[in-house]
Amino acid sequence: MPQIELSGIRKAFKVYERPAGRWGLLKGAFKREVRSVTALDGVSFSVGEGELVGLIGPNGAGKSTTVKVMSGILTPDAGSCVINGRVPWKARVAHVSEIGVVFGQRSQLWWDVPVSDSFSLLRDIYGIPRERYESRLGGLCGALEVDSLLKTPARQLSLGQRMRCELVAALLHSPKLLFLDEPTIGLDAVSKLALRAFLKDENARSGVTALLTTHDMDDIEALCSRVMVIGRGKLLYDGGLPGLRERYAAYEGQDTDEVIARMYEEEAL
Amino acid sequence: MKRTLRACLSLFRIRAAESLQYRLAALSGAVVSIVWTLIEVTVYIVFYTYAEGRANFSLTLGQVIAYSWVKELLYALLVFNIDDEIRGKIISGDVGVELCRPLDLYWHWFAKSSAGRVGTLTFRSGAVLLAGILIPGQYGMTLPASLPGFLLFLLSVGCAFLLCSAFGALVSAVRLGITWGDGPTYMLILLGHVLSGGYLPLQLWPDFIQTALLYQPFAGMIDIPARLYVGSAAPAEAVPFLLVQIGWSAVFVAVGRLVMSRRLKNVIVQGG
Repeated sequence: MPQIELSGIRKAFKVYERPAGRWGLLKGAFKREVRSVTALDGVSFSVGEGELVGLIGPNGAGKSTTVKVMSGILTPDAGSCVINGRVPWKARVAHVSEIGVVFGQRSQLWWDVPVSDSFSLLRDIYGIPRERYESRLGGLCGALEVDSLLKTPARQLSLGQRMRCELVAALLHSPKLLFLDEPTIGLDAVSKLALRAFLKDENARSGVTALLTTHDMDDIEALCSRVMVIGRGKLLYDGGLPGLRERYAAYEGQDTDEVIARMYEEEAL
Repeated sequence: MKRTLRACLSLFRIRAAESLQYRLAALSGAVVSIVWTLIEVTVYIVFYTYAEGRANFSLTLGQVIAYSWVKELLYALLVFNIDDEIRGKIISGDVGVELCRPLDLYWHWFAKSSAGRVGTLTFRSGAVLLAGILIPGQYGMTLPASLPGFLLFLLSVGCAFLLCSAFGALVSAVRLGITWGDGPTYMLILLGHVLSGGYLPLQLWPDFIQTALLYQPFAGMIDIPARLYVGSAAPAEAVPFLLVQIGWSAVFVAVGRLVMSRRLKNVIVQGG
């Protein structure tokens, strides 16, 4: 049985709009127009244990919404989703104790206190036994080279350093499943390569399933055996990167970014 | 359950440590408190002096002055204008990260916001207490009315802490409905300040609403502990007072949890 099983997930958001025109501001204070925007329009897929899957799509396509539904933060309007045998938004607490998340644009480290304090808080939150915590922390810190940063407050870390610490934080409790939402955003080449190497290694070693969203095609090329393309709230492609090239590349050896751009154009995204 | 408790204690520690980071802010808050108290005390002295014999106050001048100091000492408890960090998380959508923790969000935030309160309380109240003791004559803080009264005052402060934390958590839960903006929370906060005796000791309000004032939830935040300190309530009367505090804490916890679980069903995490 697949680890993640989504079928027909739909989610619409309400958008409040102010009437336009000279009196719009005033009118808007009393009467607002509500428009419904469909973020996910029937997304279905399944992911097996140990897979490394890349989720791509233009901005606003519904990638992050998909990740939020899968991590139990958002309740979809329709459709079903079963992960590790549970429905995320129904059994939220049990579900999230088995997943790790990294949101590239958000931080889970405490801003003003040393990184190691944030880690020990996570130890208590996830109830990790002390010896297991020590060995896991040692292993992760060694692999991501953050040993020297443990006493530094998060606010004094560079983005690359912080992102590596975020990854440690997400993996401390040895989750079965890892969601990464744009983990390489804003990182320099060295940090990106380190992050990718680490993820690949961690996946091979502990068999963690990882699902990452990104705009960086090199991430996908380096890491993922499987790509899913989301656009206008629908799953447009699900398969290997070579297959995607075959379908959309204009000529042999075209740059992956160009292939993707062509695809977005062709699908009128 | 045990794990939740441990996690909350750990959260409490880290948050309290963090809130001590901004000592200067706490100090400036203390200066505001001290100056404000002195102004208040002056106004009371003027009122009492000129009303001599013409009005019948339920509190003596000495009691009112002690009340003003005690009120400022406890003022940090009233900082339930939603924990800045939680507010930031709601606005920026970082609440998503909080939801990815295997913890009940209510207790998670309860621990966080009460810990933030402890940080400010230690610094700010320490400075105010020092000033209250050092300021000479009529203007300074007086000793508690009696030893049993003082012990009950300490107990009551503990209950007030619980009560304010529970109310703060309710305010945060209400704030989760992000599209409402800050309006509703500010209304709740203002109501709390007025009804807790934060502006005027409740015993100076008209007689016919005294009973109602005593049993409403906010009295337990400042007025009840202050009464026990200045001796306008005898130690023998303390038990129903403490029960009022504990009872309302339980009510706020229950309502807060209800509101939060309803909000979480349709929470919208903003931003990409």
